[in-house]
Amino acid sequence: MTRGPAILLPFLYLALFFAYLFGPLIIMAITAFNSAGFPRVSPWECLTFGWFGKLAQDARLLEGIGNSLIIGVGVVLIAVPIGLAAALTLSQVGPRLRASLYTVFIAPILVPGVVIGLSTLIFWDRLGSALGAGYDTLFYDGIFLTIAGQVTFIAAYSMLVFLSRIQRFDPTLTEAALDMGATPTQAFVKVLLPFMAPAIGSAAVLAFLASMENYNTTVFTVVAESTFTTVLASKVRYGLDPSISAVAVIIVAGTLVAATVFEVAKRRQTRAASGLLALDRPALKLIAHPVFVAALLAALVGWVAWTGANHDSSVCEMRVLEDKRAVQERLEQERRERLRELAPAAPSQGGSQGGGAGGAFAPGSLAPGGAAPAAPGGAFAPGSLVPGGAAPASPGGAFAPGSLTPGGGAAKQPGGAFAPAGLAPSAGSD
Amino acid sequence: MTKDITLDYVSVQFGDYVAVDGAHLTIQGGEFFSFLGPSGCGKTTLLRCISGFQEPTSGQIRIGGKDMRGIGPNKRPTALIFQNLALFPLMSVADNIAFPLEVRGVDRRTRRKRADELLELIALPGQGDKKPSELSGGQRQRVAIARALAVEPDILLLDEPLSALDLKLRQHMRRELRAIQKQVGLTFIYITHDQGEALTMSDRVAVMSRGRIEQVGDARAVYDQPRTAFVASFVGENNALPGRVISREAGVSTLDLGLPAPLRVATGAGPGAKLAPGAECLAFVRPEALRPCAPDATNAIPATVAREEFEGAQRHLVLDAAGRELRMTLVNDDRSAAFGPGSAIHVGFAPDMACALPPGEMASA
Amino acid sequence: MTGFRAFLAGFVDRNGLPVAIYLGVAVTIWVFLLVALPQLAMLDFSFRHNLPPSKMGGPEDVYTLEQYRYFFLGSEIGPEGWNALDIGVLVKTLIAAVAVTLIDLAICYPVAYLLAQSARGAAGRLMVLALIVPFWVNEILRAFAFRILFGATGVLNELGMSAGLWSAPIDFVGEDVALYAGLSYAYILLMIFPLYNAIESLDRNQIEAARDMGASILQVHRKVVIPYAKPGIASGSTMVFMLTAGALAAPQILGGPSNLWFTQIVYQWFNDGGNWPRGSAYAIVLLAVCIGFVMLMMRVFRVSIGAIGR
Repeated sequence: MTRGPAILLPFLYLALFFAYLFGPLIIMAITAFNSAGFPRVSPWECLTFGWFGKLAQDARLLEGIGNSLIIGVGVVLIAVPIGLAAALTLSQVGPRLRASLYTVFIAPILVPGVVIGLSTLIFWDRLGSALGAGYDTLFYDGIFLTIAGQVTFIAAYSMLVFLSRIQRFDPTLTEAALDMGATPTQAFVKVLLPFMAPAIGSAAVLAFLASMENYNTTVFTVVAESTFTTVLASKVRYGLDPSISAVAVIIVAGTLVAATVFEVAKRRQTRAASGLLALDRPALKLIAHPVFVAALLAALVGWVAWTGANHDSSVCEMRVLEDKRAVQERLEQERRERLRELAPAAPSQGGSQGGGAGGAFAPGSLAPGGAAPAAPGGAFAPGSLVPGGAAPASPGGAFAPGSLTPGGGAAKQPGGAFAPAGLAPSAGSD
Repeated sequence: MTKDITLDYVSVQFGDYVAVDGAHLTIQGGEFFSFLGPSGCGKTTLLRCISGFQEPTSGQIRIGGKDMRGIGPNKRPTALIFQNLALFPLMSVADNIAFPLEVRGVDRRTRRKRADELLELIALPGQGDKKPSELSGGQRQRVAIARALAVEPDILLLDEPLSALDLKLRQHMRRELRAIQKQVGLTFIYITHDQGEALTMSDRVAVMSRGRIEQVGDARAVYDQPRTAFVASFVGENNALPGRVISREAGVSTLDLGLPAPLRVATGAGPGAKLAPGAECLAFVRPEALRPCAPDATNAIPATVAREEFEGAQRHLVLDAAGRELRMTLVNDDRSAAFGPGSAIHVGFAPDMACALPPGEMASA
Repeated sequence: MTGFRAFLAGFVDRNGLPVAIYLGVAVTIWVFLLVALPQLAMLDFSFRHNLPPSKMGGPEDVYTLEQYRYFFLGSEIGPEGWNALDIGVLVKTLIAAVAVTLIDLAICYPVAYLLAQSARGAAGRLMVLALIVPFWVNEILRAFAFRILFGATGVLNELGMSAGLWSAPIDFVGEDVALYAGLSYAYILLMIFPLYNAIESLDRNQIEAARDMGASILQVHRKVVIPYAKPGIASGSTMVFMLTAGALAAPQILGGPSNLWFTQIVYQWFNDGGNWPRGSAYAIVLLAVCIGFVMLMMRVFRVSIGAIGR
């Protein structure tokens, strides 16, 4: 019986692994509902759905999503037929030619996306200038170039999907069709293509997702246009804001809904195949139907969205604002007092240090100085004025850019009625 | 209208490997003809040549007098039933059956009508809307036949179509296949490694080994008068006794088979008749031809029963005769009850129930 | 030539003319127009001077090794003047990519083994689904999640400090912890699935037979499972290595301010520096070094490229 705990080990490992897999996503999802201007879980300020609203008004992001959808559809339409052709070709050639062709076909997956993006850009640029084409032609069009670049390697992904399906194809089916008088084209259309249909579906989904999420190639080929990922990347690089978390929440929710419907459909299929479908109980049949499940989930999402849209977090946000101001004021007070005490010894040195550090803090930058907003009071050790270490303590400047979106605060002014008299109505930084 | 099929010295080579070696025969229109042989003997290759999936390396295949070289499988008057049946899994049974008509541009209503007729023929009326996966093995078998018949071919080629079925169903399908063949009056060319199938169904059988056709004849001829050691040892069970010819008369030779007494064995007009005294030979005696007999009877061989294999209706006795192993099959009745293991007996056989052949390659067990 | 013609005739015969044309055209467009020619154009470009468009094709537009010389020697000319910065970044990138590959292999092997050998039916499908779901969230968001996790005010620092494990925020980003964790996370799926596919096809009886004959669990893995899964290991490792070495988003988002990834240098030459030929040369260097490294590893571990993607 000494094996008891050892047997639990694999489960423990799996649990840890899935925690690693989902932890970051869950935390990110939570930050989408925190009203704090910086994506974080603690300190929790207020439950808000405002970041989703902000998302819907982001014209740049919406334009990027629009472009991504166009590119995604284009990639599916080109990459899937190419992948199918490549897989069929591979299935017909002899073993030696097959090996070398396979190497050629698989290469685009291994070539770094950056290199593919670059080479696509250069090639079409060269071709365009050789043909004397103007800058408004296809050769310089970001959407076209991105489709070309992405198809290069996404075609290889779809080829892999088709190869695994084609391995299970019984070639005697084609022979049977030919034997019964079908032309090779008829055999292809009526026998092979229907067999490949599910793979065509999954290859299309895979190609679309791969296109939507591609960054490395797109960032080069997109030129002056923007896509979902490039907009997202510049947002992430130049400013952290929970509305990005909101994007992730939407994607994860969509994925979960799709996955649930898929799983229900799959179970139904296997049960139908084994003849276990509860046909005699109509109610059960309805509930187990994928369309019903999809509708149920859609209703759920709709309800959450509606609740979110009607949720008013302004009261809570005002209170948090006040708390912060109170803390700031207290800190300011303490600083002044300390400065007064220290004034004879080190005139104005601490003050200039603190002010400097606060001003240097750029929004969203994660330079050490950025630690300031995290722990307004915690990191502050009263009395110690070591120049560098004390920098985060400089309170006023630190709060200015990121956490208190001035517009947001102003827009929710109705809540201001509850504000104690001592507070100035303007929510801006001091 | 039936057409003869002539194989005119057909050979197929894959690199150095000779899959079919000079096959030469004519199959009459309306005949149920089987190619019988162990796996790898070239029978499937020969079938693929007839159906058009394989071009012979040399030789000619004529169907109804017409040379088939260069004519693809979709243009030949043949229909092939594949070993795995090759029913299209995504189409309904009716669509499967009507597929040959569909690719010929026959309109939907006619197709459906023809499919229903054929379903009637194979005794599966009203099952047209099912998927092949919903049918039993035997039903799928019949659908494959119906689909092949839908083209109205002159020749139906069957590539071991019963091998996936269990024993009972297989025996049932043998009768059914034969009945369908009689009913539609087509030429059936049947490939099998199962001699029971070949012998029970066929008008004629061609036994093949290593790419060569060893013997062509009806079931009785192949079983009773094998012309080569391979045929004698492959078709049915046989005791093979190597030895030497002592003397020969018209139709009967006396052989020294290493047993206490010489034995008399019929040669008929077969290859055994050419063996001169002193020549090496192989004698074959079927287990069911051996019988217990008196010590002074013709071809009496003293032996002891080494062991018994009991099979219900029959008892297979393994005998030790002067160090040689002989198998004898007895009907399980009151007369055979005496011969238990260990008992000493004499066994014999009528000269024309055995045969003498020149030595040659034998089928491996 | 006759052999090729015969092959072509057979190809058309087998597929019928329309399908044969479709296959031929699709594969040709892909291999030549999308893969080979762009790579050649980039190779050609990497041997040219950086000229304004008006001078392209003019007398100054000649082949040169200038761009490669710059990569190796920097702007100074002389034996001492190695371009230590760029070469250093390349070496660091490769080492980091190898490290990430090994981390992923170590994390994924047990998971793939457990999933392939013990999870069956609905539970197995659910776990496979659970593996895929996080990867429908795109790369940038995944990197962003790690930034939330590892930032100076991130969850990890908050937790660590409130638990009293450390008192001042640890700079996970500057120390590259965030980058390594993020990259390992980003390509985990590409390691798990080849491993899973390879191990799944292993007959469970083999493992039981080995156990029955007295092999320890470790021996079973070393002697039976790992040799069997070698193609999967090679496939997963190659993909993770190549993608990590070629990653751009994660280093941009998770990389510390003083810390460059080689792709970022390529990106800089292209977008900020406006020097396409130099960017091309750097891309060629990256590609050549990565492919060379993978080939070397394949030679060392005796696997063929046919294993990739299986």
